[in-house]
Amino acid sequence: MSEPEQFKIPFGPQHPALKEPESFSIALRGEKILGVDIRLGYNHRGIEKACEERTFIQDIYLIERICGICSHVHSTAYVQGVEEIAGLEVPKRALYIRSLIGELERIHSHLLWLGVAGHEIGFDTLLMYSWRDREVVMDILTLLTGNRVNYGINTIGGVRRDITPEMAKEVLTSVDKLEERTKYYIEVATQETTIINRLSGVGMLSKEDALRLGAVGPTGRASDIPRDIRKDDPYAAYAELDFNVCTDKRCDVYGRTVVRLLELMESYKIIRQILANLPEGAISVRAPRRIPAGEAVSRYEAPRGECMHYIKANGTDKPERVKVRAPTLANVQSVKQMLKDRYLADMPIVVAAIDPCFSCTDRMIEVNNLDNGESKVLDWESLHNYSIDWYKKQGIDFSRMKKREIA
Amino acid sequence: MTAEETVQQELEKKFPALAGKVRVQRARRIFVDVEYQDFRPLLEFAIGLLKFPYLCVITGLDEGDQLGIIYHMSGESGIILSIKTRVPMSDPKVKTVTDLFPSAEIYEREMVDLLGAKVEGLQAAFRYPLTDDWPTDQFPLRKSWKTPDVPKGEIKHV
Amino acid sequence: MKILNKLVNWARIKSPWILHFNTGACNACDIEIVAALTPLYDLERFGVQLKATPRHADILVCSGPVTRQIEDRLVRIYEQMAEPKFVVAVGTCACSGGVFQGCYNVRGGINQSIPVSAYIPGCPASPKAIIDGVVKLLKSLEE
Repeated sequence: MSEPEQFKIPFGPQHPALKEPESFSIALRGEKILGVDIRLGYNHRGIEKACEERTFIQDIYLIERICGICSHVHSTAYVQGVEEIAGLEVPKRALYIRSLIGELERIHSHLLWLGVAGHEIGFDTLLMYSWRDREVVMDILTLLTGNRVNYGINTIGGVRRDITPEMAKEVLTSVDKLEERTKYYIEVATQETTIINRLSGVGMLSKEDALRLGAVGPTGRASDIPRDIRKDDPYAAYAELDFNVCTDKRCDVYGRTVVRLLELMESYKIIRQILANLPEGAISVRAPRRIPAGEAVSRYEAPRGECMHYIKANGTDKPERVKVRAPTLANVQSVKQMLKDRYLADMPIVVAAIDPCFSCTDRMIEVNNLDNGESKVLDWESLHNYSIDWYKKQGIDFSRMKKREIA
Repeated sequence: MTAEETVQQELEKKFPALAGKVRVQRARRIFVDVEYQDFRPLLEFAIGLLKFPYLCVITGLDEGDQLGIIYHMSGESGIILSIKTRVPMSDPKVKTVTDLFPSAEIYEREMVDLLGAKVEGLQAAFRYPLTDDWPTDQFPLRKSWKTPDVPKGEIKHV
Repeated sequence: MKILNKLVNWARIKSPWILHFNTGACNACDIEIVAALTPLYDLERFGVQLKATPRHADILVCSGPVTRQIEDRLVRIYEQMAEPKFVVAVGTCACSGGVFQGCYNVRGGINQSIPVSAYIPGCPASPKAIIDGVVKLLKSLEE
């Protein structure tokens, strides 16, 4: 029934006394997963406590670094909340600039995801292509903000840097280039049968389950839930912009891929609108050092889903409470449902498909084989290799795919 | 009447004790303060009639002698209803809401670990987010807990 | 014997194998490390290859301000590497804890857990800085 040689431990002699803090604990029957327990906390740095000990302005830089891919998300959600408590009216130009950086971040995040997804199924060419395209976005972000990640563009009351017409022209040229490349990815995703076969039917999450478990972002939208904070609870400049919410009825990893690719196209549309309609005016208003007592709930549609901040101020220059709920935390419950009754080989891509924002490397998996009572610990790399080999035996082999040259 | 005002009216009609405690801060933001014994019926009412199908997060607050707990729910048309309730810090017992919202589990565990709340009805599972060897009587997010000045370990160079 | 040593050293410098480990970082540095391997920056032309197991690695490339959960694993991975081994701290968090200095769940810099050979600051450290740092480390090995 089960083949013991599939559970190889790559690290030398295993020390029985040293207990690994497993991230995933899986109950296996043969090759099928019966249940998954996920343990988080590796990235717990104590940020919420640190926020209470620092001033509001210092917290912007701390909160930006919660996640390296979603840094603008957290920073904007935070300043939006503080601005609401302080009753500040942020100038329109600042809101448009925030939305511009937000959409550029979405593009870079989705391209990153595309590469990671390609890597997880063994299609490394996709990783190289999409990350090369991502560099176009990184160059633009460096031009606009001075850094590739952790932009520091927000301040309480607006943004810190302005856009010149020359910068705007550069952005538009890059967007045109990226749109061409994205069309290629959409073509590959919709026409390459290897990809379609590999991703279809994997990681199913029905609409009812997605609603019950509170799935957000592309994970939820691929289960036909048209939930997008940019439309439902508009913030920054989104109330004035015209775009579509991308959903898909397939409820599987393939659907999530399609949703993200379509969102890339929508982002290009949004960026063009922002630059065409950029209002004149100041880029920030003065904010008081002491924020009056009050509370606010602020939301932002991160590339991964809904990000929520709750901020409570008490009249001093330090916040009373800052609560951050990143989107991955909301989607993690759904992963358990998606893996039920699936093969162990599906695990890497299903987890990657929610675009998790916990530590990307070195997740440990404890596999409990219910048939023979064995318990082994795998690391992510060996699960990744196992998955690619397993699917190769089913005839899905990306190394044999013809590589097409794109300009 | 706006959607928010409708919600406010419906809540005050069904729970007269809430008169004056339902605050519409701005478009799509409603805050409610409720005593813990009325909390559960209010939650169920909000879900059922007012179409609030999604729990965003549960925030725990150290308010000195009380533990404040806010349940943030998101409903149709993007409205967020934040229901705040309080239990005494000396005995911070609350019942789990995972029967209504399975996703609440992780937020409740966080409150247990960081603030010392006691959530009844949670099944035994991993701690989150602290390590297994963190002492169970130390609650970092409480105001009284100060980050200890741990002497820096010896810096190792090659 | 001396010639064998020289040969092994040469191979090590010309083609160092690295193991990447994230000790609780925000992922920005990790992505920059992986980006350094993509075509635009291409660390692979230096012979650098990303390996999965500590037993095959010469250099441990680390990011993140060590969280309590991960500290044991970091030390264990370091001990599993074969001599001679080198550790590169990528990013301000790995160098000294960065913005997370003083947070209760964070050690603050990997040099409090394992010896570090090279520090590459930056938040995040850009791929160019990473390549610069790795090349400097390799040069210092030649001496």
